[in-house]
Amino acid sequence: MSYSTTVQELIDQLGRLPGIGPKSAQRVAFHLLKAPSEDALRLSRAIIDAKERVSFCSRCFNLSEGGDECAICLDSRRETRMVCVVEDSQDIVAIERTQEFRGRYHVLQGAFSPIDGVGVEQLRVKELMSRVADEDIEEIIVATNPNLEGEATAALLVKYLKPMGVRVSRIASGLPVGGDLEYADELTLGRALEGRTVLDTGNDSQP
Amino acid sequence: MKIRSLSLTDWRSYRSAEVSFGDGLTAVVGDNGQGKTNLIESIAWISGTGSFRGASDDALIRLGADAAVIRSTIEADDGREELVEVEIPRVGRNRILINRQRATRSSELLGVVQVTVFSPDDLELVKGGPSLRRGWIDAALAAHHPRNAALRGEVERVLKQRNALLRSVHGRLDADAEFTLDVWDSKLADAGERLRTARRAMLNEMTPILATAYDAVAQQVAMVECHYESSWSGPLANALLTSRELDIRRGITTVGPHRDEIHVTIAGAPARTHASQGEQRSLALALRLAADGVVRTVGVAEPVLLLDDVFSELDPNRAAALLDALPKGQRILTTAADLPSAARPDQVIRVHNSALTLESP
Ligand SMILES: Nc1ncnc2c1ncn2[C@@H]1O[C@H](COP(=O)(O)OP(=O)(O)OP(=O)(O)O)[C@@H](O)[C@H]1O
Ligand SMILES: [Mg+2]
Ligand SMILES: [Zn+2]
Repeated sequence: MSYSTTVQELIDQLGRLPGIGPKSAQRVAFHLLKAPSEDALRLSRAIIDAKERVSFCSRCFNLSEGGDECAICLDSRRETRMVCVVEDSQDIVAIERTQEFRGRYHVLQGAFSPIDGVGVEQLRVKELMSRVADEDIEEIIVATNPNLEGEATAALLVKYLKPMGVRVSRIASGLPVGGDLEYADELTLGRALEGRTVLDTGNDSQP
Repeated sequence: MKIRSLSLTDWRSYRSAEVSFGDGLTAVVGDNGQGKTNLIESIAWISGTGSFRGASDDALIRLGADAAVIRSTIEADDGREELVEVEIPRVGRNRILINRQRATRSSELLGVVQVTVFSPDDLELVKGGPSLRRGWIDAALAAHHPRNAALRGEVERVLKQRNALLRSVHGRLDADAEFTLDVWDSKLADAGERLRTARRAMLNEMTPILATAYDAVAQQVAMVECHYESSWSGPLANALLTSRELDIRRGITTVGPHRDEIHVTIAGAPARTHASQGEQRSLALALRLAADGVVRTVGVAEPVLLLDDVFSELDPNRAAALLDALPKGQRILTTAADLPSAARPDQVIRVHNSALTLESP
């Protein structure tokens, strides 16, 4: 059996979304068809509104609503000398939740991955370099993901930023707080050991 | 570890089957095409290494069914009982539960179920290309420590990325591409050196076990030796730089651990090109025994031995010698022919049309 063209079009469009395979696309389509029309309309309006009002910040490429720059870049209380570089806007949300970072951000819009056709040109690296040149930035904190592509992206940023005389640091990767060492997976624990910090140098023991 | 019970639903030719295994030697007997290999393939699958026949997941689901399910109780070496449940659906991701907890990676199974598989295809280990022998040593490394499995995964991923980059520059390297190639080179140099070091150490440990195993199966003193031939000398970082031009032209990475070779010789002659059919068979078995032996000697586990149809090409003497050379512990073998007279199974399972019945041994 095949669906009417209208239904098939809906399934096809849903199926183009990330993480939604043909089966899920079908399920969502039928859910929408069975749902009250207000619900479906609310969803379509939310999509249209978001597309109209939300754009990318011209400075940091975070999501920005109703303006050229995002709320964080416009916030005058934020430290402008520290910039935290992330892969995606979602990462900003995660870091903001910690309330530990008061600087600004820079969103690369991806990670370096030749397999996916993502090279330097696809990432906002040149834009970051212009910011370092133009703004009064003292430290770049690289907060890309702790996987191969994230690490490669970090290494690449170091190469580009080295001649610019700015301090570049990398967030540490380690153990989940409140967890038990015993239950940590090997790779995480191995990384945590590699990135250990000195508590005492042992050099000043003789008075 | 030991496998205690196994239940299959829509796995390969099995609609629904259940069986329990005792200690010692179990013989799975039956005519051709009845489901013997399918049965032990399911045990191998829950060790997290996929199908030893190289089948895709789709081929594992019974024709006409939506999902294959394997359930198994395992007795760990310390006596604990563990429950492994896997579901392989036609659409969507596999579900793996270990003691009713969801596992995120199939490699987590390796911590619960360890097997050593002997199959007629092992002959390729001797006769086939170098990638099979690299796979042989890397599997032994992975069984030894999960860190090694991650290392091998990292090398493969870096290679994919580096090769994709090489292809994308179309023979010319601008400044940006050079920077990015530098990054992947340093990742590959680092992971590649570590993998080679790990392989060499493992090979040193395995070679005496291999030689002993071969002598036992072949019933003679034959002097089997291994030699690791690397595709580079000096630091890998330098070798990558030297081969960069060539790599860019060819669009692939021409040096690295993926280009290394393991040579096996019997009395100084390369086994791949010089050994007889029977000698190659014996060597293939010995290679498996050596990988199994090294896992046992370092004390990480007592794998269950799965032997699929290995007697069919051995003369009665070698078959008996192989049975003798096997570590004791749980052994499950399949055969379509009569059991070698030396085999004294503790349990016999007859397979007919994918139905299992216990027979008195
Ligand atoms: N996904 C599947 N669905 C249904 N049947 C399958 C599936 N995969 C394999 N089979 C069937 O299972 C049957 C038994 O296969 P198996 O390899 O276990 O036989 P065997 O007992 O080991 O035989 P032999 O002695 O020849 O090695 C084959 O006839 C094959 O067609
Ligand atoms: Mg078979
Ligand atoms: Zn901004």
